[in-house]
Amino acid sequence: MLLEKALIERMIETALQTGADFAEVYVEDRASEMISQIGGRVEKVNSSKLFGVGVRIALGLQSVYGYTNSKNPEELVKLASDLSKSFQGNTILKPIPLGQLEVGTRHVARINPRDVSQPKKVELMKKAYEAAKNYDPVIQQVAVNLSDWVQDVLIANSEGRFVSDTRVRIRMYINAIAGKDGMMQTGGEGPGTGKGYEYFFEDIDIEELAKDAARCAKTMLFAEDCPSGVMPVIIDNKFGGVIFHEACGHSLEATSVAKNASVFCGKMGTQVASSIVTAIDDGTIENGWGSANFDDEGYPQQRRVLIENGVLKSYMVDKLNARRMDHQPTGSSRRESYRFAPTSRMSNTFIDNGTSTFEEIIAATPYGLYAAKMGGGSVNPGSGDFNFSVSEGYIIRDGVIAEPVRGASLVGNGAEILHKIDMVGNNLDRARGMCGSQSGSIPADVGQPTIRVASITVGGKKGAK
Amino acid sequence: MNFERLFALAKQKGIEDVQVYLVNRSELSIEVFDGELDKYEIADTTTLSIKGVYHKRMGTFSTEVLDDSLIESIVDNLIANASIIDSLDEAVIYAGDLEYHVLDDLFNEELTKMDVANKIAKVKQLDQLFHQANPLVSIVETMYSESTRTVLLQNTKGLKLENKVNSAMIGGQIIVKNESDQRTAFDLAISNDFADFDLEKIAKEAVESGVRKLGAKPIPSKNYEIILDKDALATLLSAFQNVFSAEAVQKGLSLLKGKLGSTIGSSLFTLVDDPFMKKSSRSRSFDDEGVATKYKELIKAGVLETYLHNLTTAKKDGVVSTGNGFGTSVSAINLKVLPGEHSYQDLLSSMKEGIVITDLQGAHAGANPVSGDFSLQATGFLVENGVEIKPVALITIAGNFIKLLQDITAVGNDIKTGYYGITCPSVKILSLPVSGI
Repeated sequence: MLLEKALIERMIETALQTGADFAEVYVEDRASEMISQIGGRVEKVNSSKLFGVGVRIALGLQSVYGYTNSKNPEELVKLASDLSKSFQGNTILKPIPLGQLEVGTRHVARINPRDVSQPKKVELMKKAYEAAKNYDPVIQQVAVNLSDWVQDVLIANSEGRFVSDTRVRIRMYINAIAGKDGMMQTGGEGPGTGKGYEYFFEDIDIEELAKDAARCAKTMLFAEDCPSGVMPVIIDNKFGGVIFHEACGHSLEATSVAKNASVFCGKMGTQVASSIVTAIDDGTIENGWGSANFDDEGYPQQRRVLIENGVLKSYMVDKLNARRMDHQPTGSSRRESYRFAPTSRMSNTFIDNGTSTFEEIIAATPYGLYAAKMGGGSVNPGSGDFNFSVSEGYIIRDGVIAEPVRGASLVGNGAEILHKIDMVGNNLDRARGMCGSQSGSIPADVGQPTIRVASITVGGKKGAK
Repeated sequence: MNFERLFALAKQKGIEDVQVYLVNRSELSIEVFDGELDKYEIADTTTLSIKGVYHKRMGTFSTEVLDDSLIESIVDNLIANASIIDSLDEAVIYAGDLEYHVLDDLFNEELTKMDVANKIAKVKQLDQLFHQANPLVSIVETMYSESTRTVLLQNTKGLKLENKVNSAMIGGQIIVKNESDQRTAFDLAISNDFADFDLEKIAKEAVESGVRKLGAKPIPSKNYEIILDKDALATLLSAFQNVFSAEAVQKGLSLLKGKLGSTIGSSLFTLVDDPFMKKSSRSRSFDDEGVATKYKELIKAGVLETYLHNLTTAKKDGVVSTGNGFGTSVSAINLKVLPGEHSYQDLLSSMKEGIVITDLQGAHAGANPVSGDFSLQATGFLVENGVEIKPVALITIAGNFIKLLQDITAVGNDIKTGYYGITCPSVKILSLPVSGI
């Protein structure tokens, strides 16, 4: 065990000595490995071992958090004691004794990253490199990064929760650069998994993905600059789901809702989206990139229907923010590591399937932008204004996909855009991302079928028509 | 951990040289939400990064567990990690420079000694100031964070260097709201001396900037003359700073490849990296490889003068390291655009029709450091005949980083060190395509 049960109980008891009504101990051990390769040669290899303990104490709406990477029992009890000094009362709560340790049993990695030799990993990376490099003579450079980690957590609290969970994550980034006459364009793929290496060895074809990164870079090299203006935009499935993640997902997290700082405050039960939109955040998907057995407060991850046929059904809520809201916690608490107090975060978030086919959506669009691949984006939850970049785009003319365009970005307002979704495809698929917010950078899965937004502002270097 | 034992075992197993880099951080952060203490956080952590040269290749390992029992596995990991590297670059561990710049204001003991209750009171005071500044202020989150970082660098070439830095940040994020719109704004100050924190100024500027943005709307899409204000320029430079890395250049990942000595920007534009800047917690006398840091002009009056180097990239280019080896890569310390002669008002007054950009969003995705292309969400003001006439939001500006540097037509003297640790004045740009309605 990462830390003795008796010591954890002592820490919780100490934490409550000045009148707090909740105490939690989070212990984390993580072994990571990162290999980076440029031009087919391994440039850097780093392995690391992270260990730390976080203690959180709350009284009503106030909370305090502390962390250390000491394993020393006296120092750990002192941390709990130092933190408890933020409150000035007498013990009001006797902690419920920790029960039998509950161990998370789903989302198992069959081929553990620690059991795969480094040369074997490098071989996988070289395969990706070769496939991208040999795709076309314009491909000048290919960078491949592979990182994996095994995170073991132990979470206990004053309500008697006592759980452990193991989270395995593996991610490869393939970045292809196409160049000609001093100009360079990039194309990337970032397959990742909450499984083990069986995902890379058996489930996916890494060479196909690498070729696709190269194809995207080459296409963008010969593409025109994107025009700007307001137009219909068709956003393809997989990483296209980043639009819901940025435009709406963050504004449905208790981090902004509890403090009345979200455009979706007070909207429960009302129509917040077009009636063809159903959106779900599901932390229980088997081996999902954003899945876990338990959230980072030690409660089971859940499937949350956020929006059903356009009606707002649920926020994503952690335990402490629930105290500010008229809403039950939803098992949504996550954090990057022990260095962050947990808070409500997305897990695997996606717009559910509709009824249109991809071909129908394209054919129904006289003029617009087809965003085949999306980059990242960001949102200001206070105003709901969001932006995201298009890494592979095409102009649609008379219902047909026409010339490629590069450098497009989309901006809009989260509350408005949901109403403007006028077609939803039937080809739901998901993709991997890293999401940064209050409790750090965490793996988050995004997804959707192909959707059409009736009108949105497109920014590009070519300027207005 | 007993480093002598680590060094001895490494030598014995055939590692040529080893370096340890030990960082201890203690941190404090305080958040006040609508007048009440909302969050309080304390932390104490130690991270050890070890690197070793084995057959001329660098293996690295980092750990937060510092038991001597790990020494053997650390050494084995260094060897294993170095052994699969097949890069042509030669790894180096540094014996040290003869002289290091003395930086005496990096650590201020008064800050660390100041009572926590006092710090909480300051944050509550700032919270009050935000609320009092304007009745439209609806939500206020005020925060303070402080860290003390000590570094020990020691290697088998006999080099041993230490430094200690502390720094604090105080600021707040607010939402201002009227009947039809709500906008956010934030401002902060960074220093290791409380005397530098002008709380009235922080509150006043954040609230003013939020209130001015109320009612902001997109404007028609076309090309406009642009003023990138000091914060917006810092955001843009931050997104593109990696183009100056010699590592990116050598690996074919930078658009500045082959451009040394040539004119890449307007003659009005000079960009320096100043590791000795006063009042910056990023200032350093040595980098993570133990090399003495240096003041350098990256772009001098539009001409690209140097890339940023660490030991490995310098060796490859046949130059000396610029003292920019951080982590396992290369990065700038305090980037600074030198001020011009125009006041911000001058820049504005001479603009017939254009836009002042005050915020840029989404630079992590909408700015491509390899191609130099950017298309970013922007907020600001529409200017007509030298006057800001209305707030603008939900527009994008697009362009290419190098083209933008060439199109600078005036540089302001209103410099500010922003959130990214980059110091910039406002600059005027010939024209950029804007997408709105």
